[in-house]
Amino acid sequence: MIEFKDVIKEYPNGFRAVDNLNLTVHDGEICVLIGPSGCGKTTALRMVNRLIDVTRGEILIDGQPNDEFEPEILRRQIGYAIQQIGLLPHMTIRDNVAIVPRLLDWDEDRIRQRVDLLLDMVGIDPSIHGDKYPRQLSGGQQQRVGVARALGADPPLMLMDEPFGAVDPITRAILQEEFLQIQQEVSKTIIFVTHDIDEAIYMGDRIALLRAGRLVQYDSPDDLLAKPRDDFVREFVGADRSLKRLHLISVKDSMINNVPRCAQGASLDELAQCMDEHRANNVFIIDENSGKLLGWAERSAVESGAAPEEVINYAPTSIAVAEDATAREALSVLLSHSFDLTPVIDANGILTGGVSIQRLQDLVEAPGIHAAAQRERGQ
Amino acid sequence: MIAFLGGALASFGFFFLPVIEIKPNRLASGLPVGLLEIPGDLRYLLLFLLALTPVMLAFMSDRNRRGWALVTVGNLIIILTLYLPALAGNAYLIGAEALFEAGTRISNPRILSSAAIAVGLAGGGIVLFAGLLDLERSGASRLVRGLAGAVGALVVVLMLAGGTLDVYSIMVEYHSRGETLALRFLEHIVFVLVALVAGLIVGIALGLWASRDAKAEDAILYTVGIIQTIPSLALFGILLVPLARLGDSHFLSMARDWLLLAAIALAAALVLRRLHARLPERARQFALIAVFILALIPLSLLAVLIIAFGFEVVLTVLTTAELASMRSVTFLALVLFPVFVWAGKRFDLERMLPHFQRVHFLPLLVAVLGALILLAQGAGKLLGNSELAELTIRDFGVSGIGTAPAIIALTLYSLLPLVRNTYAGLKNIDPAIIDSGKGMGFTAAQSFFRIELPLAFPVIMAGVRNAAISLVGIAAVASIIGAGALGDFILLGVNSTSIDQILLGAVPAVLLAVIMDAGLKLLEGLLTSPGIRQA
Ligand SMILES: Nc1ncnc2c1ncn2[C@@H]1O[C@H](COP(=O)(O)OP(=O)(O)O)[C@@H](O)[C@H]1O
Ligand SMILES: [Mg+2]
Repeated sequence: MIEFKDVIKEYPNGFRAVDNLNLTVHDGEICVLIGPSGCGKTTALRMVNRLIDVTRGEILIDGQPNDEFEPEILRRQIGYAIQQIGLLPHMTIRDNVAIVPRLLDWDEDRIRQRVDLLLDMVGIDPSIHGDKYPRQLSGGQQQRVGVARALGADPPLMLMDEPFGAVDPITRAILQEEFLQIQQEVSKTIIFVTHDIDEAIYMGDRIALLRAGRLVQYDSPDDLLAKPRDDFVREFVGADRSLKRLHLISVKDSMINNVPRCAQGASLDELAQCMDEHRANNVFIIDENSGKLLGWAERSAVESGAAPEEVINYAPTSIAVAEDATAREALSVLLSHSFDLTPVIDANGILTGGVSIQRLQDLVEAPGIHAAAQRERGQ
Repeated sequence: MIAFLGGALASFGFFFLPVIEIKPNRLASGLPVGLLEIPGDLRYLLLFLLALTPVMLAFMSDRNRRGWALVTVGNLIIILTLYLPALAGNAYLIGAEALFEAGTRISNPRILSSAAIAVGLAGGGIVLFAGLLDLERSGASRLVRGLAGAVGALVVVLMLAGGTLDVYSIMVEYHSRGETLALRFLEHIVFVLVALVAGLIVGIALGLWASRDAKAEDAILYTVGIIQTIPSLALFGILLVPLARLGDSHFLSMARDWLLLAAIALAAALVLRRLHARLPERARQFALIAVFILALIPLSLLAVLIIAFGFEVVLTVLTTAELASMRSVTFLALVLFPVFVWAGKRFDLERMLPHFQRVHFLPLLVAVLGALILLAQGAGKLLGNSELAELTIRDFGVSGIGTAPAIIALTLYSLLPLVRNTYAGLKNIDPAIIDSGKGMGFTAAQSFFRIELPLAFPVIMAGVRNAAISLVGIAAVASIIGAGALGDFILLGVNSTSIDQILLGAVPAVLLAVIMDAGLKLLEGLLTSPGIRQA
């Protein structure tokens, strides 16, 4: 656990970069520090491992003030990754990852094992890249090595300052996803600095929004989007915050089970009746035995009196979303068809429910009912 | 095309320029002889024709074969350019009496290599180089190319050793003064090495300081820059006066003076520390530089003593007959080894460094050294040792002329490239690398020795090579103040307008510079991490 208690940082020139910061980061959580450039994120982060001295107040690590440790001893127990990566260019990849274990005097066998394990974990094959030098790797690979190095001595805490800031958006998305998977395994207590709200929402368990050195709001991503405290927050998270919230909610959490459906081979009357019952303009056709989604029929086609076989459109997957997709994807499918709701299928293609526009609206307006949704999504 | 140039150059030389001059003794002027003037023997024509061949070979198309042909011809040109004139010269000298006017004193007659030989060697070298270039492009291995390139030089060395070339004036000179040459050469090497090591220690420390401390940065870089602009002769002269006085003072009075100076510097530093915050920006800068110079005086005095003393020891060990024997060297090593090990353990550099990084280390050091001298003085009195009181600094090898000013001046000259390159090397390191190291828990000393020094190493080594080469040159000037070294021959040669003697001093100096440069380059290559080596 990391606690900031009334922390103030004044630079020698009198500039107050961090102003009365109170913040608690719980074990195993990713706390994202976000805010406009120059708002004091990096300063706050670097005070934790004493790269910058606190002017007033204190920072507790597991209840102990961090200035009770020798700075070097403290830093060896806290993983540190930065945007510029800062791999040591004269050392091989393996030696880079081994830096902190070596500083801690681990024995070489253990270091070797640990290093190879970490490189595997971040998706760098140690037998291919282990003895290369940093300049021989791509930017994305270097970032991975930077993460592996921060995890080097298995520190309980990690400080990450825009660790994925220097790579292209596609690579960044991959790195973010992979890092969340690693975090599932290692469950570190992390302070993560970014200026990208999407990254913050995706990565953070909690988001601390800073402005001019002050903490404006500290909440879960969902709450931040749902209940922005003031205009500054509202503007910072963006006009599309509703869409962003949908990104946090899984289809499973937002679907309704009551979907107009008929077995294949039903008569036109049965189809019309089903639609009437649901006050819907289309009906989904499923396999009688397995319950798999096969296609759909439109009210206009049904009422035109054509043969039952001709009113059914077969196209099961393109019209449906999977249960583990986000509500945002459901909305996207919904918008591209003229259905009342988007059908939801499970891994076997069985129709399990649907997501309607009305339902999505309710979700976005309801403040924070799905704070837990994001947690579940990760599992 | 390059081969074409080389061949043309060499054949032009052989055709138009005199190859040798025949001299009856060291001083008389010689009779110039051209290659085609050498009578009687067609083999001299061979060299001329040989020099012409690359002109034709240059148009061959098969790269590998052309390479080998050019390498062979190039080597042959080099060997024959030296060998054939020597042969001809010998023939001339046998009948020397007939060549010169009656009454000319003939002692140690010799042939002076003349322009055509220089041009021939250059041409041969160019042809050889062109051949090696071809071989490299056609994929010959490094080793093969190295061997092919060295054959000519090897044969020349063999001929030198076998006495075939003894007729050349420089060899005649060498044979008559060989022993002094060896000693002067050794002196030269020791000069350069001692100055280089001293300069390295001081230079890296200053460079480090300049790169860390924005306040001292300008003062340091400016000072070493100014030193470099003083002509070497003047610097030797400037050092003459204070060092002569220093050398005459008695040890005890010297110690007293030194303590006084140190105390003044210390007091000034303490006062500055007090007032520092209260002074305006400008005055602060000024005061800092003043205190810096005040502290520098006792420090550099001490450095003079230590370096001069160290030099005396080194030179004695290297040149004294008894010490040079195997037994005493072994003995010395046995005695010194535990001392070094002990000192290495005792003064753990990594742990000491953080103290040096503080500006306050100057007054501290001054105080400690002052206390040490006081102790020595007290011990001398206590033991009733009057010899200590009688000791002059000259006994430590310090005086206005000779080794001390030479070494000091050389050390000062080596500072600019060393300080500048250390500074640049350290400043150019990406701050993110140092920051990430610090963030992972490197101490300041670990960061310096394991990150900054390895990263700045190639740049520092470039400075070292730069310093080494210029030191070899400047060390030759040092003989003006009676320091010895290869400059002795050059000075004598200039005084007596004897080009042979000048060459005898200059050629080893050039060789030394080339060898040191190559050796340092090799060292640099071996010690630079492949991760930062230039591709
Ligand atoms: N050493 C320093 N001296 C004075 N001001 C500084 C120093 N370092 C940073 N600042 C200022 O403090 C503010 C916060 O910096 P920083 O924490 O790096 O911001 P960011 O949120 O972009 O990471 C900035 O306005 C910056 O200009
Ligand atoms: Mg920042």
